[in-house]
Amino acid sequence: MASAKEPNLIDPIHQFAISKLADIKIGNIDISFTNSSQFMVITTIAIMFLFMLGLSKRSIIPNRFQMICELSYNFIANLLRANVGEQGRDYFPFVFTLFMFIFFCNLIGLIPYTFTVTSHIIVTFAFAGLIFIGVTLIGFVKNGLGYLRMFYPKGVPVYMAPIIIPIEIISYLTKPVSLSVRLMANMLAGHSIIKIFAGFIVMMGFFGIIPLAGLVAIYALEVFIAFLQAYIFTILTCIYLNDALHPHH
Amino acid sequence: MQDHEDKLSQLNQKIEAAKSKNQLQNHSNIPPSQLGKVMKLTVEIVAAVGIGVGIGILLDNFFNTRPLFIIIFFLLGGCAGILNVFRVAKSMQNH
Repeated sequence: MASAKEPNLIDPIHQFAISKLADIKIGNIDISFTNSSQFMVITTIAIMFLFMLGLSKRSIIPNRFQMICELSYNFIANLLRANVGEQGRDYFPFVFTLFMFIFFCNLIGLIPYTFTVTSHIIVTFAFAGLIFIGVTLIGFVKNGLGYLRMFYPKGVPVYMAPIIIPIEIISYLTKPVSLSVRLMANMLAGHSIIKIFAGFIVMMGFFGIIPLAGLVAIYALEVFIAFLQAYIFTILTCIYLNDALHPHH
Repeated sequence: MQDHEDKLSQLNQKIEAAKSKNQLQNHSNIPPSQLGKVMKLTVEIVAAVGIGVGIGILLDNFFNTRPLFIIIFFLLGGCAGILNVFRVAKSMQNH
């Protein structure tokens, strides 16, 4: 905290620091309420507020808020239908919640003085790991042990199996890592760049107007990336779900 | 009466047109940027090697055979990474 109080000192990583707001401990497990948890709660409340506002009237001609709700519903419903098919409808509530949560976390993180929940690898990895375990379980429930055939592609000679099967298993285990690292890295890099450019504005005095113009452009790009990363996370979830439901593609 | 039915069929046509337009839009996904593509491929290969080494370390700690499994799974992880990159690149070509 001390470094933030000194002027002219740019610390682009400081915004990602986690601070405890309330100390809570159960036994040896630290479950303190941190600023990260605080912004997760804020995100959830914001989404609930938006949907309560939008869906309270249920008019045939929608107002703006109802429009937002209906558009986001249609967006995810179409995404599921295009990637998973009609069977994907069962998983709509989960995928919709996932998309809205990540999207709102990314967007709220762009407001100054806030905290970006998705910039921490443990948060995104918790999402990706849960999706990975869930999708694997769905695969085994729907296909039985035949799901294991996925690790041994058709047409591979038997003597290649000792090499191919570990490679396929490692390739399968890579999914949650690449999924979570991509979201985290994009958020971390984007927010650091914004902070660094903001530091240039202060340092350059009057000529700071040049980085300011750049910052406006980068900020616009960041808003787009906030959406794009939430979209990529969701569409990859849909693709993994599709692989689990229809493994022989 | 005739007039009403005309209007109804016109409305139906409009709805159908809007529906087909909507479906066309669904298939055209957002094109990924060049940087995004590079990032995706890099993460794939690094993650696969990392997972491979992780499995190797776990097996070595279990069987006390360090560094045998680390070497084997490092190589397998590299293969898996290249396989992943190959698959991602193939799906990029199709789009």
